[in-house]
Amino acid sequence: MTTRAVENWTLEPLVKFVKEASARLVLVMTSAGQVLAQHGFSRAVDVMSAAALGAAIVASTDEIARQMGQPPFAALNHQGERHGIFLAAVATGRGRLVALVVYDLEVSSLGLVQLFFEQLAADLQAASPKDSVPKQVLAADFERELSASLNTLFGR
Amino acid sequence: MAEEIKTLSSQLAQDPDSLVFLRLGELLRMKGQLDAAQRVAVTGLDRHPHLPDAHDLFARILADKHDYERAFDEWDMALRIAPDHVGALKGLAFLYFKVGDLAQAAAHLEAAQRVAPADASIAQALAMARGGESPPSPTAPEGEGEPVALPASDAPTERAPPPPPRPPGAAQPLEEARVFAGLEGAQEGLLLLDAAGRVLGGALKDPGGKDVTDAVAAYLAGVSQEAARTAKLLALGRWTGVAAEGNGGHVHLTAPTGDALLLVVRDRAVPMGRLAIIAQRAAVAARRWLEKHA
Amino acid sequence: MTTAPANYTRALDLVTRVRGVRGAMLVSADDGIIVAEQLMEGIKGPAVAALAASLATRLRRAMEAAGVGASLFWHLQAEQGALLVVPTAGGTLVVAVAEPDVNVGLVRLELLRAGEVVG
Repeated sequence: MTTRAVENWTLEPLVKFVKEASARLVLVMTSAGQVLAQHGFSRAVDVMSAAALGAAIVASTDEIARQMGQPPFAALNHQGERHGIFLAAVATGRGRLVALVVYDLEVSSLGLVQLFFEQLAADLQAASPKDSVPKQVLAADFERELSASLNTLFGR
Repeated sequence: MAEEIKTLSSQLAQDPDSLVFLRLGELLRMKGQLDAAQRVAVTGLDRHPHLPDAHDLFARILADKHDYERAFDEWDMALRIAPDHVGALKGLAFLYFKVGDLAQAAAHLEAAQRVAPADASIAQALAMARGGESPPSPTAPEGEGEPVALPASDAPTERAPPPPPRPPGAAQPLEEARVFAGLEGAQEGLLLLDAAGRVLGGALKDPGGKDVTDAVAAYLAGVSQEAARTAKLLALGRWTGVAAEGNGGHVHLTAPTGDALLLVVRDRAVPMGRLAIIAQRAAVAARRWLEKHA
Repeated sequence: MTTAPANYTRALDLVTRVRGVRGAMLVSADDGIIVAEQLMEGIKGPAVAALAASLATRLRRAMEAAGVGASLFWHLQAEQGALLVVPTAGGTLVVAVAEPDVNVGLVRLELLRAGEVVG
């Protein structure tokens, strides 16, 4: 399984996380859905839809938390029959990032994913560029940015 | 024989510290009254724990009961007390032969021959061991040097079982057995693996007798990796073993060296503490074998 | 803030009162997350829960393959400590974190009793 990063500083923490948590698929993206790194996806179209859905879920739950007068939820987990989906955000020097993790219940568990996600969050915080201003992606640039990211993520 | 048993029994009852228990235990063993023989031997050992002949007697009874592992312990103990004990040397030679370690079998018989050069049975056993034939059982009565077959069909004079067919490219079964020479269960309850989960020696059978070596080996690498990670992340230091009780048996997993794994499986009758001792002994044998084959 | 049910507390008390036990937990075997805990300072509960559950799963598979059935009790021995676990029929692991020289027989007994309390 390949792990690839658009922004190289995300690569090492992600590789480590995948190994420790035995994750099957992982996306690290901005809260707007811009993908910074991925593991395990074989098709660009899957990355695009997973990133869009993940970002949408985080945005929705952030809004629910806001309406409840609560801080944003730390993490969300959905346990299916064979797989679990874990979604959590982490604040970094690159801005707020979201990780979407799909794990196989035969080889991993929510506990392991949570445990090593804490490490991933710390590693991403430590590795992220400290003084960078979060890049605004304009709608006009979005298609081009997305295409460039996918080219990098799939080695085209 | 019955009369002598009666006489010795009454002598022992009058003087429980008497050494007649050695003769009485042996007569009972020869009569096939193994449980009675064991009671006599164990009682004698309680009173004379440093008597090598008592350990030898107990070992013979255990060997007749096919409890080779404990027989090995008892003969081993006899040799620690009396390194030239011929009975113990012959007993261990027999056990080594049973697990296919002809070199160790011959070495023990040679040691016995040095102590008792006139004992024709040793020379004969040595010739048989060198020729790959099973030497006479050390539990057979000492006579004119002729091995005496025991009447029971499952008597320990049986030949070592023939080795299973060897798959292409696999290690010789004899070579595998050598890892755990002298330890009971070398081919059904002991397994040595490398770090990648490949079998180096031993074999496992489930309670139904089915060979489960490969299936278990496939899972063990994962268990040891998880044990190592758990110990590391919880700051418990280096892991030294995993012991588990199951519904149908007990298992003990250790890492005899940094890149090898040893699994011992026994039924529930074997207490966990004893399993740990068996595992320790098997780990020593495995380390020795790994060093020799490095 | 939630309070553990009384029987969970009672179960954990049975285990933590043994000399040499540094903490006890009830862990969801499938998820590897904490159900209830009584831990000394410095023990990382989530890590214990996740790793104990993972090791339990792997061990269970190996034991089933070996034909010795489901595990009733297991013990990870390490140079500076030990992890002792009893899986319950209800899918909970009763876990003890202990010193290396703890009385394993006693901890085992209390873990089994705790397992009966938890169900």
